[in-house]
Amino acid sequence: MLDWLKDRLGLSQRTASRNEEKDLSGFLREAAGEKFTGKLESDLKKIDAAGGSSYDISLRRFWAGNLPGALIYFEGLTDKRATEEIIRTLVIESKKIGVALKKGKGLETAREKLLTADELIEVDNVAGLFAELSRGGAAVFFDGSAGALICDTRKPKLRAISEPENETTLRGPRDGFIENLRVNTSLIRLRLPIPQLWMKKMTLGRLSNTEVVLIYIKGLAREKLIREVHSRLQQVDIDAILGSGYLEDYIVDSPNTLFPLTYRTERPDKVTAALLEGRAVVLVAGTPFALIVPTELNMLMQAPDDYFELFPIGVFIRLLRYAALIISLILPGVYVGIVTFHPELLPTPLFLRIISTREGVPFPVVAEMLILELIFEILREAGLRLPPAIGPAISIVGALILGDAAISAGLVSPGVVIVVALTAIAGFSTPSFALSTAIRLLRFIFTIAGATFGLFGVQFALLLTVIHLCSLRSFGVPYLSPFAPLILSDLKDSLITVWWWGMQARPKLIGGREPLRQPLGQKPQPGQDPEEDEGS
Amino acid sequence: MPQEKIANRQLFFILFMIRCNIAVAFLPVLTTADAYQDAWLSSIVQFFPAALLLLFFGGLGSRFPDLTLAQYSERLLGRWPGKVLTLAILWAFLHMAAVEVRIYADMLVTVFLPDTPLLFLITAMVIVAAAAAHSGIEVIGRAADLLFPIYLLMIVGSLLLPLPLLKVMFYNLEPVLARGFGPVFRGAVTPMAVIVQFLTLTMLIPSLNQPKRGLRTSLAALAGASTILIFIAVVTTAILGPSPGARALFPFFKMVRVVALSEFVERLEALSVFAWGLGLFIEVAAYLFCGARGLSQVFGLEDYRSLILPMAAIWITMGVHVSQNAFQLLTFFKPAFFAPYALALIVIPFTALWAAYLLRKFFRRRSGEL
Repeated sequence: MLDWLKDRLGLSQRTASRNEEKDLSGFLREAAGEKFTGKLESDLKKIDAAGGSSYDISLRRFWAGNLPGALIYFEGLTDKRATEEIIRTLVIESKKIGVALKKGKGLETAREKLLTADELIEVDNVAGLFAELSRGGAAVFFDGSAGALICDTRKPKLRAISEPENETTLRGPRDGFIENLRVNTSLIRLRLPIPQLWMKKMTLGRLSNTEVVLIYIKGLAREKLIREVHSRLQQVDIDAILGSGYLEDYIVDSPNTLFPLTYRTERPDKVTAALLEGRAVVLVAGTPFALIVPTELNMLMQAPDDYFELFPIGVFIRLLRYAALIISLILPGVYVGIVTFHPELLPTPLFLRIISTREGVPFPVVAEMLILELIFEILREAGLRLPPAIGPAISIVGALILGDAAISAGLVSPGVVIVVALTAIAGFSTPSFALSTAIRLLRFIFTIAGATFGLFGVQFALLLTVIHLCSLRSFGVPYLSPFAPLILSDLKDSLITVWWWGMQARPKLIGGREPLRQPLGQKPQPGQDPEEDEGS
Repeated sequence: MPQEKIANRQLFFILFMIRCNIAVAFLPVLTTADAYQDAWLSSIVQFFPAALLLLFFGGLGSRFPDLTLAQYSERLLGRWPGKVLTLAILWAFLHMAAVEVRIYADMLVTVFLPDTPLLFLITAMVIVAAAAAHSGIEVIGRAADLLFPIYLLMIVGSLLLPLPLLKVMFYNLEPVLARGFGPVFRGAVTPMAVIVQFLTLTMLIPSLNQPKRGLRTSLAALAGASTILIFIAVVTTAILGPSPGARALFPFFKMVRVVALSEFVERLEALSVFAWGLGLFIEVAAYLFCGARGLSQVFGLEDYRSLILPMAAIWITMGVHVSQNAFQLLTFFKPAFFAPYALALIVIPFTALWAAYLLRKFFRRRSGEL
């Protein structure tokens, strides 16, 4: 015992001094090359050295008959009962049913005759071992067998599936993605129980080995798109992926834009709908946000409720939303432009009203506007970072104290406050947070343009935005389609929506392989009147 | 790099806006001659010679669907004469674009931004166009797709707004043909000559999805824009009255301006100015693209994009110095000056091209090559 301890201490000292000289990449190289020898003690030492005797590594030694063995797993990741079951099987059950484990054949016998875990993987090196252990496996070692048998003992730590807070709906389904990849894929699989729903797994991130799954409907999504997404994902070489936002930056067509070129969503129904249109979806382990590609601006303006509500209401809401988008983009610029350069465009009473409220305000209107917009952005950011309990405080300070006091002190004019508030509310009606962020930033540019050239400046900024949007593509699909290029049949789900039985075709540029969603002529007809039947 | 293509629909939108914008700008049927209340007749009459001219210079494009004017002129006339001829056409783009930007800037300075230097406005407009041309014809085409419905909506809206007034103002259109057909034809001369704008077609044909149908598309654009022109002429003459309308600098704009639907709904001219700006943007971007592309082919450059910046600079200078003031610009568009100028730009080069084409065809057939 003492010898063993000494040996152990000496070794760990030696490895420690050796380890200090090594950098991370050295460790990784070594771990990948470090094969198990089949000598239990030296293998265990290797593991211990590689893992730095970390606190959460659990080592349980046992004797299966005459054969010494060990079970290694990470505490907390595994199910206690499952690990106990493995040891019980190997130590006790093997005797009961008379299966003898012999040196050199321990792993084979255990795999073929004893262990009942549903997933058994054999690994032969330290790096592979740690990768599997981190996923919640437990590794069985036997003296004389060069390698380890990984049993699936994971104990899933799951957050409950709840409604995504950022994408709420009134009539839609209430489930949302969580951080667990398997749960997320199951949410999609449940909605599309067809074999053609293909999910391709990739492991990205040198250190994080994050599982990334590319999902599409085989035969519906264009092969070129799938190849493109796949190759772009494959090219990602990064140390760790902690969220889908990391990947997004690598796979978009153009990095020089404010506009989101992928669609991020937490909603499985949204993802399924996208799959049915022929798009591809990227799910990343450890994040509830799926990426949908390709994405158009039009898609960012669609909210789930549009499809669950009655058609005329959907049309009204959609139009309203586009109007709100335009308002939140140009209203401050237009206001500044009109008040500064073209007061004659306003009806006289309105103009007089605005001018009279501006009396005594010490700043030019553009300064007022920019300051207030900035303050609003700060308020919003502060509200986002605050714990929910203090949230209301910020709105009191912001709205009541700042807004009201600033007006009554004559520092800002009420008109500007109204415009900023209106703009902010209009901005909130954009379903996509990423898009509304882009608009928020552009708003400042529009305000400055309006202050420099009046309405002409707003038009200038608008045209530049249009050029930029027209030149954007997401995985080859023009960003502004179906508006530009104009695709008449796809307009049914853009500025307006139609009845579900009217949505016969998939988006042309994306789902062109299988253009029809449903047979034509499903418009509901009035049923036979039963009384009339009786009468005749 | 695969060549960028635009749909014929997009060409239709581009040409429609180019053509319509002149009417929005200064309504040549009314202001350039003495047609007065018969201006709307001039709008009908001008279509036919304009369409003939279009067929004349567009027809060659259908025979060389893969080549721009710069390329087939060299093939037909030989290297140097072809280059010189192309340069003449490119000059037309540059000049027309400079003039039109200038009119727009003049209007803005006169009406909206009295203290802003003309240079800034012209520069801003040219920068936008240069950005679009730099992004390529696809982007211009898509922008046309996006802006055309808005453009049309605003023009049609501006024409519908005065409808309640129109009944009262109808006597302004009478008497019809009081002075015979002379004034009608004189009024049609400048609009007909303005077809020189459509020379852009000769540079755009190879970029089309269906180049063979390019001529048909542009004829449709001409017809569509002429229809709008008739309505603009009728409404403007009716609202403003024949002779004040003819003296106005920007008649369409002025017409929208005098319309006040109620106490609150007035001063809607911002909409028409916005429409004008949108149209001008597409127009000028198309000119700049065609100009830069043609020039790059004349000089044998790989990419036209390097030419855009210097061209834009020249253009800004031209825009500022092309005239002293808006009135001088209008004089430029008087039939006596503009028609010979534009016709020379169309008839001389294309007669030479057609002659070369037909001679070649004739001799080739004779020598049995074809």
